[in-house]
Amino acid sequence: MLRFIVRRVLLMIPTLFVISALVYFIIDLPPGDCVSSQIEELVARGDADAHQRAEELRELYGLNLPLWQRYLEWVGGIFRWDFGLSCQDTVPVADLIGERLTLTIIMETSTIAFIWIVSFLIGTYAATHQYKLGDYVASFIGFIGLAIPNFLLALVLLYVGKVYFGLSIGGLMDPEYIDKPLSWGKALSVMQHLIIPVIVIGMSGTAGMIRRLRANLLDELQKQYVVTGRAKGLPPMKLLVKYPLRHSLNPFVADIGGLLPDVISGSVIVSVVLSLPTTGPMLLGALKTQDVNLAATFLLFVAALTVIGMLISDLALAALDPRIRFGATSEK
Amino acid sequence: MSSADLRYPRPTILADYARAGIGVLLCGAPLLLLEVNQWLAAILVAGFALFALFLVRTALRHRTRYVLGPDTLCADGPAGTLVEWGRLDRMKLSYFSTKRDRSDGWMQLAIGSTGGRLVKVDSSLDGFHDIVERAARAAEGTGVTLSDATRANLRAMGIVVAGQEESV
Repeated sequence: MLRFIVRRVLLMIPTLFVISALVYFIIDLPPGDCVSSQIEELVARGDADAHQRAEELRELYGLNLPLWQRYLEWVGGIFRWDFGLSCQDTVPVADLIGERLTLTIIMETSTIAFIWIVSFLIGTYAATHQYKLGDYVASFIGFIGLAIPNFLLALVLLYVGKVYFGLSIGGLMDPEYIDKPLSWGKALSVMQHLIIPVIVIGMSGTAGMIRRLRANLLDELQKQYVVTGRAKGLPPMKLLVKYPLRHSLNPFVADIGGLLPDVISGSVIVSVVLSLPTTGPMLLGALKTQDVNLAATFLLFVAALTVIGMLISDLALAALDPRIRFGATSEK
Repeated sequence: MSSADLRYPRPTILADYARAGIGVLLCGAPLLLLEVNQWLAAILVAGFALFALFLVRTALRHRTRYVLGPDTLCADGPAGTLVEWGRLDRMKLSYFSTKRDRSDGWMQLAIGSTGGRLVKVDSSLDGFHDIVERAARAAEGTGVTLSDATRANLRAMGIVVAGQEESV
């Protein structure tokens, strides 16, 4: 297992470096830079010093340096938790992302927990009650969840909440806690406001996971050892938990890696629609204005979360079920 | 049955030394050369410890020879131990792969006898198949319960253990 962990971690390091380089260079590819749009506004207003101001800003942000040099400075700064200056407000990126990153991590973690818990319960129920009313309801929820885009569901919930219940479900905390230090009241407010975003973002993931768990569990339940166990009079719960459920749980573990990027990318648009103070809306703004440092920092965090998710998934799977798969070969 | 002297091949050991060295360097160099944020430093220290541990384990494997005998498997080296086939009480055969399709992986056998420490050997060890075969026969004799994964991996290696059929 140690050799496996070492090899997996060793693969992670160059992967993150390559992703960071790709992200940085691709964001910088379009013509112009983050100063261009600001200067265009000044020129439009008739500011005579606009072009001189542009040069000053380019020097301040280091945009007059070659791209590779800016990239190396940005990468070097990561170790000091210094991601350079953001063009949007001329403040350090680290100051901008602080609380937003924490709130994003809380939201994504809660969403994944929601997906697992709900899909485990519904998937197991649907498989053990095949073609009963509960199974049809679960399948219906599954198809609805897969078919409706997250942002549309967010819009519908906003409308329903406002028109029928008089609730404002946007934001991630009550207005009086915004920009205030962490307190019990703030934590409670965040937890209350998390419910709707978590359901909205987790809906499609939950639906997909329900379908997969149901299919896997049905496959297992039809195997001969289950039939034999049932014929021998084994209690249904013991028969379910001892082998079939354990075997059908592998996709849960294996999907952690894929779930994280899905949840994060799905949450960007939902965060914009629901006005959530997470990294999503800021990332969108940074990409629009070519704020390379800010956008690349966010995307690097997303990449790091994805890679870590995949590592956890692979380690958990290796620990739970270290068996050879059909078609795979072992070295001698 | 005569004894067989088994060792890890030099290329495998060298590759593991290289992995450990690269890991130690990648995690250690920023700690030594750069001013590192405390949280990132904690991650780097954890990585450094992991690769350092692997370096020590590789060095131990380098210095260890395995003697497969009719009654025992002896790991003769700095952290040597002995597995008595007649008193085998633990056996686990695992398969690991770093690829998405789980191909090109390697097997790991962990065995131990009553009162003794666990011996872990990888499939890159010369004579690995013989050790697994002997351990499987010993498990048959002592009635060690094998996990699903171990049974599946044994089958993949063409080894069938009597008395280990699926039971509910």
